[in-house]
Amino acid sequence: MSDPDAPLLDVEDLSCDIDTPVGVARVLRNVSLRLAQGRTLGLVGESGSGKSMLIKSILDLAPRAARVTGRVMFEGVELTGMRAAERRKFVGRRVGVVLQNPMTSLNPVVHVGRQIEESARYHLKLSKAQAREVAIDLMARVGLPDPRDSYSHYPHQFSGGMKQRVTIAAALACEPDLLIADEATTALDVTVQKDILDLLQMIQEERRMSMILVTHNLGIVAGRTDEVAVMYGGRIVETARTNALFRSPRHRYTDALLAAMPRADHAAHTTLRTIAGQPPDPLQPLAGCPFAPRCPVAEARCADSMPPTTFEAADARAFACYVPRTLVAPPPAEVH
Amino acid sequence: MLPTQQPYLRADALLSVRNLSVVFRRGQQTLEAVAGVSFDVRRGETVGLVGESGSGKTTTGRAILRLLPKANSSMSGTITFSGQDVQAMPAEQLRAARRHLQMIFQDPMSSFNPRRTVSDIVAEGLVIHGVDRTEIATRVDSALNDVGLSAALVGGRRPHQLSGGQSQRVAIARVLALQPDLIVCDEPVASLDVSVQAQVINLLHEIRETKRLALIFISHDLAVVRHISDRVAVMYMGKIVEIGEAEHVFSRPAHPYTWKLLEAVPVPEASVKLRPASVGTEIPSPANPPSGCRFRTRCPRARELCADVEPPLRPMPHGQFAACHFPHEEPAPTPLSAG
Amino acid sequence: MIAEPRAQPPQARGTLRGDAVAAHRSRSQRLGAAQLLDWLAVTYLVLVVLAALAAEYLPGLAAPTASVGEFSQAPTLTVNGLLGTDALGRSIFSRVIYGARASLAVACIATAISLTLGLALGMLAGFYRGLIERIVDLYANTVASLPPILLILGLVAATGPSLFTITASLGILGIGTYARITKGGVIAQAEREYVLAARALGAKDSRILTLELLPNLLPTLTSVVPPLMAGLIVTEGSLSFLGYGIPPPTPSWGGMIAGSTDLLNRFPLLIFGPILAIVLTVFSLNTVGDRLARRISLREGQL
Repeated sequence: MSDPDAPLLDVEDLSCDIDTPVGVARVLRNVSLRLAQGRTLGLVGESGSGKSMLIKSILDLAPRAARVTGRVMFEGVELTGMRAAERRKFVGRRVGVVLQNPMTSLNPVVHVGRQIEESARYHLKLSKAQAREVAIDLMARVGLPDPRDSYSHYPHQFSGGMKQRVTIAAALACEPDLLIADEATTALDVTVQKDILDLLQMIQEERRMSMILVTHNLGIVAGRTDEVAVMYGGRIVETARTNALFRSPRHRYTDALLAAMPRADHAAHTTLRTIAGQPPDPLQPLAGCPFAPRCPVAEARCADSMPPTTFEAADARAFACYVPRTLVAPPPAEVH
Repeated sequence: MLPTQQPYLRADALLSVRNLSVVFRRGQQTLEAVAGVSFDVRRGETVGLVGESGSGKTTTGRAILRLLPKANSSMSGTITFSGQDVQAMPAEQLRAARRHLQMIFQDPMSSFNPRRTVSDIVAEGLVIHGVDRTEIATRVDSALNDVGLSAALVGGRRPHQLSGGQSQRVAIARVLALQPDLIVCDEPVASLDVSVQAQVINLLHEIRETKRLALIFISHDLAVVRHISDRVAVMYMGKIVEIGEAEHVFSRPAHPYTWKLLEAVPVPEASVKLRPASVGTEIPSPANPPSGCRFRTRCPRARELCADVEPPLRPMPHGQFAACHFPHEEPAPTPLSAG
Repeated sequence: MIAEPRAQPPQARGTLRGDAVAAHRSRSQRLGAAQLLDWLAVTYLVLVVLAALAAEYLPGLAAPTASVGEFSQAPTLTVNGLLGTDALGRSIFSRVIYGARASLAVACIATAISLTLGLALGMLAGFYRGLIERIVDLYANTVASLPPILLILGLVAATGPSLFTITASLGILGIGTYARITKGGVIAQAEREYVLAARALGAKDSRILTLELLPNLLPTLTSVVPPLMAGLIVTEGSLSFLGYGIPPPTPSWGGMIAGSTDLLNRFPLLIFGPILAIVLTVFSLNTVGDRLARRISLREGQL
C-alpha cells in the first residue's frame, strides 16, 4: 500500500480556518512541506505563526470549529478523507507526539508505567507482561533511574525533566516512524533542555526515525536538524537545509529573526536589531506576504500579492520573497 | 563575615544584600530557597541574577522588595538600600522607600488588574503615594512616552487589548512613573516572542542609560543576561556559585555549573551538527540538598573534598569569585566545541 | 521543500477587531431556546419584585384578607380569580402576590446579612490566614454540619415566630457559606502577580483588599447569590409550612400550603398557586445564577 520512495510525510496545500464569534481566523494558509524518512525537520515560528495548528491539523487534533482543507499523505497513504476512527488508529501507531507541558500531558492519577505502555497494548496488541517489559525498557532508554521501581510511580513523583522523559517514552512505545516534539523543551531549564534534546537526537539516530522539532527558538534547531521550515502568519516563508538557512537566510523574516536573537557568544551591550510592529492577526489576513507590514525593505508589490516560490536545489531551499537577501555562497569545504 | 573578607562586595553600593536566607514551610517540610546570599548593586549598574528553576533567584528578588508571601515564609539577613535597612523598616517608611525600589514581573498581563485601564495602571503608584492629581497626568504621559507608547492611543485600553510587548512596556512605564533608583526585573522577557523580546531589551538598555537606573536582571536566559548585564551572579540551589564582571564570567567561567549552563545554551549557528552527550544526571531535590557543595552530584569534576567541605566564594584568576574547590581556568565552552 | 502555492483563497469576512479567539460556537447557535429561557427568568423575577412592592397599587387586586367569592372556587379569568379562592374565600392570586413579600423579604435581608459579614470575614481569613482562617473555618464547618431547619425551629420555639427571628437566624447561618467562597477566592488571587505588583508599588493592605481583590471576587459571588437565595425561599416556605414561619394572617407561600392540606383531596387546586410561585421563583433564580456563572467563566477565559 505504501510507496517506499515516497516521502514519509507529504503535506500539500494545507489550510485551516477557524470560526470564531468575531470572524474567520485563517490560521494556516496553503502550507506544503515534505519530510523524507529518517530526516529531522525543525519547524520554527513565533506564537501565532500557525506551527502548532499545523501539527494538530496533520494529526487530526484540530478543534471542532476548524475547517481543514488540503492533503496530508503519510507513507503514501492519504490521511485527509479517512474516517476519524481509522485515521486515529493509523496515525496513533506510526506517529509519536511529545507536547510542551508534561504537567498536563500526563494523567496524574495513573502510574507512569501504564501511561507508557498504553499505546503499545492498544496498537500492537501486546499482553500485559509484554507491555510491561517494553515500558521498562523504554524507561531505561530515556534515562529514568530505577525503571523497575519507577514503573509504578505517579507523575508528581518526578521532576519536570523526568516527566518529559516519561512523555518521550510513551511516544516511543509503538516504535513510531515519526516523532513530533511540539515545544517539548520550552518549559524546561536550559541544562535539562539540552539533556532532553540530546536524548531525542540519540533516539532518532538509533531508530532511524523521522523527527519534527517544533519550536520558537532558532537556536534549538541549529545543529540538531537536517532541514528547517520557518513559519509566519500561517504560511511557511522559507525552508532549507539547516546549515544553509543559518549561513544565508533568504527570506527577510528569517533574517530578522536571526538578528533579533541575543547571543551568548556575541558581544554584550549592543543594540539588538528589532522587528518593528506586531505579529499578524489571523482574523485579518493580508493578500500579500504576511511579513510585509514589518519588513524593513518591503515594496508595494509585497503587500499586494503573495510572492511566487523560488526554489534553490543546491540547498534544498524554497522561499517566497520579492526582495530576498543575497545568497551567501557556502565555503568550498561544505559540499554535499 | 566582614566586607574585607569578601572583596566582591563594595562599600559604596546602592543596594547591598548580606547573608540573605529565605525559608518556606510547606506542611511539615521546610525548604531553604535562598541560603546565605550576599551581593550588591551600584547606582546605574545592571546585575544579572542567573539560574534555573530552584536556584532561588526569583525569591531573592522578591525578598529584596519584601514581597514574600505573608504566611509560611521567613527571611533572615540584611538588605540595605541607600543606607537604610529595608528589613527593619516600619511599614510607613517601607512604603516611602518603595518609590525608589521597584519591580517588573515575568508575565505583565497577570501583573495588571484586568479591570483597569492603562492610564490607571500607570498612575497607580503615583496615586498610592499621594502625588497631586494634576501632576499625575503629566507623569503618566511622560512615562508612557519613555517606553515608546502614547497615552492618547493606549491610555483607555484594558490589559487584554494589549499585545505582549505592549503590556510589558506598560509595566515598565508604571514603574518609571515613580522615578525609582533601582528596578528588579524578574524574567521580564521570558514570556515574549523573540521579535518582541528584542524591543523590550533595547528599551531597558535605553532607559537605564538615560535615567541612570540600577537594574537587577533575573533570568534563566544566559544570552539575554549577557547582553544587558555589567555584573553577573550565578545561582544554584539557593547559593551564589559565581559572581563577577559579566565579561569574565561569560568568557572564562570558573564554576563548573556556569560552564554547564554555557554549554547548554542553544546557539543559532549551524555549521556543525551537535554530538549529543550521554544522558544527564538527576537534579537533587531542593528540600534535601547534597552535603558540601550542592552541585557535586552533577559535577564532572567533583571529588571527595566536595562532599565534605562546602566551598566558599574565592577569588579566581580573572577577577570573578567562584565557590568551587576545582574551578575551570580555560576559556568558555561553546556548544560547538563541546563534542 | 515547498510545492508552489496555489491561487489566493477569497478574503476573510472578518470585520470586527475582536479580543482573543474564545468560543468555538458560531453566531447562529447562540440565539435560541437557552437565551429565551434566561430572559424569561429575569422578566419573571422583575415582575414578582415589582408586584410584591406595589401590591396595594395594583388595579383591581383584592386585599389578601378580603373575601372575594365562594370558598375553594376553581380559577376564573378575573384578576382576583386567576388562581381560584381558598377555604375562606380569599383570592389565592392576591395572597400569592402579598405572600411574595414575606419570601422575598426573608431571602433578601438574610442574604444581605450573610453576604456582607461573610465577605468581610472571608477576605480577612483568606488574606491573613493563620488564626482568623482557623476561626472562620471552624464556624463554617460547625454551621454546615447542623441542619438549618432544626436550628431555626429551636430558636423560634424559644422566642416565638417572627420575621425578625427567621431573617436574623438565616442570615447568621449563611455567613459560613459566603465566607468560605470568599476565602477560597482570596487565596487564589492573593499570590497573583497583580496583587504582588500593587504591594510592590506600596499599596496598603486595605487598598489591596478593597481595590484589587474585592472587584475580582464580586463576579463569582454574584453568580452564587441567586441559587443561595432560592434555597432561602424554600427554607422559608418549609418553615411557614411547619407553622414556624411568619405568623398568620400575613400570607406566606408555605403558610398557604399548610392551610390547605386538609382540603387537598377534594380541592387539589388550592395549593397550585403557592407551589407554582415557589417553583417559578426558585427556577428563575437558579437560571439567572447559571447565566451569570457562564458569563463570568467566558470573561475570565478572555482575560
